[in-house]
Amino acid sequence: MKMLAFVPFALAALLLTSAGNARGDSCVTSACHVEISKIAVPHAPVKDGDCASCHNAVSKEHPIKGGKSFQLAAKGGALCTGCHDGLATKKLVHAPVKGGECVACHKPHGSSGRFLLEKGDDQNPLCTGCHDQATFQQRFMHGPAAVGSCTECHDPHQSQEKALLKQPVRDLCLRCHSDFNNQLKSAAFQHPPVKKDPCTTCHDPHGSGVPMFLVKKMPDLCISCHTAIGKKITDAKVVHKPIKSEAGCSACHSSHFSKAKGLLAFPEMETCLSCHGQDKPGMKNISKEIAKKKYLHGPIKNGQCRACHDPHGSNYFRMLGGNYPETLYAPYKDGLYDACLKCHEKNLLRFADTTIYTKFRNGNRNLHYVHVVNSRKGRTCRVCHAPHASNGEKLMHVDGVEFGEWKIPVNFTITATGGSCAPGCHRPLAYDRDKPQEYSTNKAK
Amino acid sequence: MSATRSVRLMGIGKVLSLLSGALLALGLAGCMGGKAAREPVFWPPDPNPPRVQFLKGVSGSKDVTTASSVKLLSLNNDDDEGPKMIAKPYGVAFSKGKFYVVDTIQNNIAIFDLVKETFEILPNKGRGKLKKPINLTIASNNGNLFVADSFRKEILEYDEMGNFVKAYGKELEMKPVDVAVDDNKIYALDISHSEIKVIDRASGEPAGVIGKAVEGQEGLALPTNLSMDKDGFLYVTNSGTGKVVKLDRDGHIVHAFGKLGDSFGEFGRPRGITVDDKGRILVADASHQNVQIFNETGRILMFFGDPGYVYESLNLPAGVTTISSNLDYFQKLAAPGFILEEVIVVTNQFGPTKVSFYGLGQMKDFKGYESITPAEKEKGGAAGQKK
Repeated sequence: MKMLAFVPFALAALLLTSAGNARGDSCVTSACHVEISKIAVPHAPVKDGDCASCHNAVSKEHPIKGGKSFQLAAKGGALCTGCHDGLATKKLVHAPVKGGECVACHKPHGSSGRFLLEKGDDQNPLCTGCHDQATFQQRFMHGPAAVGSCTECHDPHQSQEKALLKQPVRDLCLRCHSDFNNQLKSAAFQHPPVKKDPCTTCHDPHGSGVPMFLVKKMPDLCISCHTAIGKKITDAKVVHKPIKSEAGCSACHSSHFSKAKGLLAFPEMETCLSCHGQDKPGMKNISKEIAKKKYLHGPIKNGQCRACHDPHGSNYFRMLGGNYPETLYAPYKDGLYDACLKCHEKNLLRFADTTIYTKFRNGNRNLHYVHVVNSRKGRTCRVCHAPHASNGEKLMHVDGVEFGEWKIPVNFTITATGGSCAPGCHRPLAYDRDKPQEYSTNKAK
Repeated sequence: MSATRSVRLMGIGKVLSLLSGALLALGLAGCMGGKAAREPVFWPPDPNPPRVQFLKGVSGSKDVTTASSVKLLSLNNDDDEGPKMIAKPYGVAFSKGKFYVVDTIQNNIAIFDLVKETFEILPNKGRGKLKKPINLTIASNNGNLFVADSFRKEILEYDEMGNFVKAYGKELEMKPVDVAVDDNKIYALDISHSEIKVIDRASGEPAGVIGKAVEGQEGLALPTNLSMDKDGFLYVTNSGTGKVVKLDRDGHIVHAFGKLGDSFGEFGRPRGITVDDKGRILVADASHQNVQIFNETGRILMFFGDPGYVYESLNLPAGVTTISSNLDYFQKLAAPGFILEEVIVVTNQFGPTKVSFYGLGQMKDFKGYESITPAEKEKGGAAGQKK
């Protein structure tokens, strides 16, 4: 009897308790909060039916039509940090985290994906809810950004690094691009920014409208540092065509590292001949021109094309590094033959008589002067000399020089003290430095 | 055109209190014939980075050797004399460790080696006796000495031992004041005709005249000094026009620069000229009392030696030459951290120092003029690098 007397008190206590602390097994039923039972990945308290860890009853009556009988156990982020560690301790904190807006990203009861995130592995829809969508819709995209793996690089809560990056930029990039890093370390020539600066100096880590998601198209990107080249490209009458192509500077240069000087893709001449050594319309095949030739022009022998040509752009004929006549005939005047005379004897064409500047003379009479410093018909160097290679000594044309449809023969020979020439230009003539030839007669000597 | 010793900033009162002491010290230093330890003297003056330092002065055998007598060069002459002074030097040349200095008062050639500490006098006897030597040069092919004698009106050749070999050009009626030689030719600078007489070395026969004015081109005008660079070009100073004229051996004038005047790059009385291994042209000026250095196009780079010091400044400078190898001896004379690139030797017709040695170089930690920041320039920071 005594036991029966306690029953009403016990029932009353049970009723009071159920109204004050929500229990999952009573909250989620076939009639109430049924959607929570369908969550694929429930929040741990939900899974445990521990609704009261977050929700507190404020009224005995539940549900109340038009009112609330429960309220959250704490406001904002404080509700979460009751169980989770605080996430606002580092230098930079994601704005929602800082504002306690955990639910801006996370579903508090549970979600279809991990981390109480609703959108699955592709985080782009979630992040672009706030961040500019255009960034992630570029023509050329960085892999992680393309597939929405934002958290591969960014910490969604907080970081010591700018842009909430998980590590300093370079370290972060090289975490995946380890193969690149190994090649960089062993390369003979490294582009200084690649060696020490953040990759984002040149690349947009999300994507851009430029191949390799560069921050600017080439050559604009490159000349933002290489200003002298930029000025040359801007000022030059003729710019080397590849620079203006989509490949830009990388048509010739390796942007990161290289085995060749000047960060060229290959050694200098090999790089040039990769285009200029082919049969292309409007271009001479220089590989064919120099192949098996007995004599090569000095710079070519050393594999240097840019000793004469400016590979970026030039105001001069054939993109030469200095002045040189475009026409076949051009009487010498100071500066007109700079392209050749910057290496060859500067006084070669200045004096009608000399014992110093050339061996091509009859006695002291300077025959270079005779040929080039001719006010009516000064012959340019290429009339007699092949600029790249020849089987003739002194790079004299052996097969003849192109003159429209005719190849003018030269027939040049050298002796110990002079030589002779039997070209298509004049009658056969000899010259001798020690015993000058007399040219007034009609006989060739 | 003046230079100042490297001076740290200090209070005016302190400066005044030190001034009397400094003047006394300076006087004593002058009396001591330059042997007292000195603060290094640099050009250009503060706040510019130092490029030229005065290293040493030689005025006689006592500055070269401790030996009490001086030998006459040549195996045939073993006469010993007492200590020798250089009275009034003009031309200077350097070959195989030896300096050759013309003395226009004593009419002889002093030959000294600073490393081996020898001081010799070219024998001055017989057919090879000098009457009024002015300038000289050493042939690169055999080491023979060629001297321009304006009184004998000849070029005199001596072998390495000092033996007289030959006299050239008596019949040319010239007044030679300087001479250059290559393997085949002698180039005698004739001040009386403002031209260069070319003489064949092997035959001694005249081989032409160069340097005359041609149509549209000014020739030599009262030329005083001549030098040949390593490429065989001739450089002539002209007191008539104040120009430096560069000619090839055929006589073509390939370049000319300068004019009479007292501004930078201009000349008052241009005298000795030389071209160093790097193509820099050095010209001594008896009026400005300095040496101006030009690049190969004639653009002035700097000048040094201008008046201001008793011992270190130039005093009626005449001849100039440079040395760019085996500088160990001179490096030891340079200020700590001042690395020599070449040594410039200049003769002075007057003053306590008859042959002045200057080091051209830069401080070890100097990274070029472009490395000096504007703030450093304002503070004279570049000068600080020499301390």
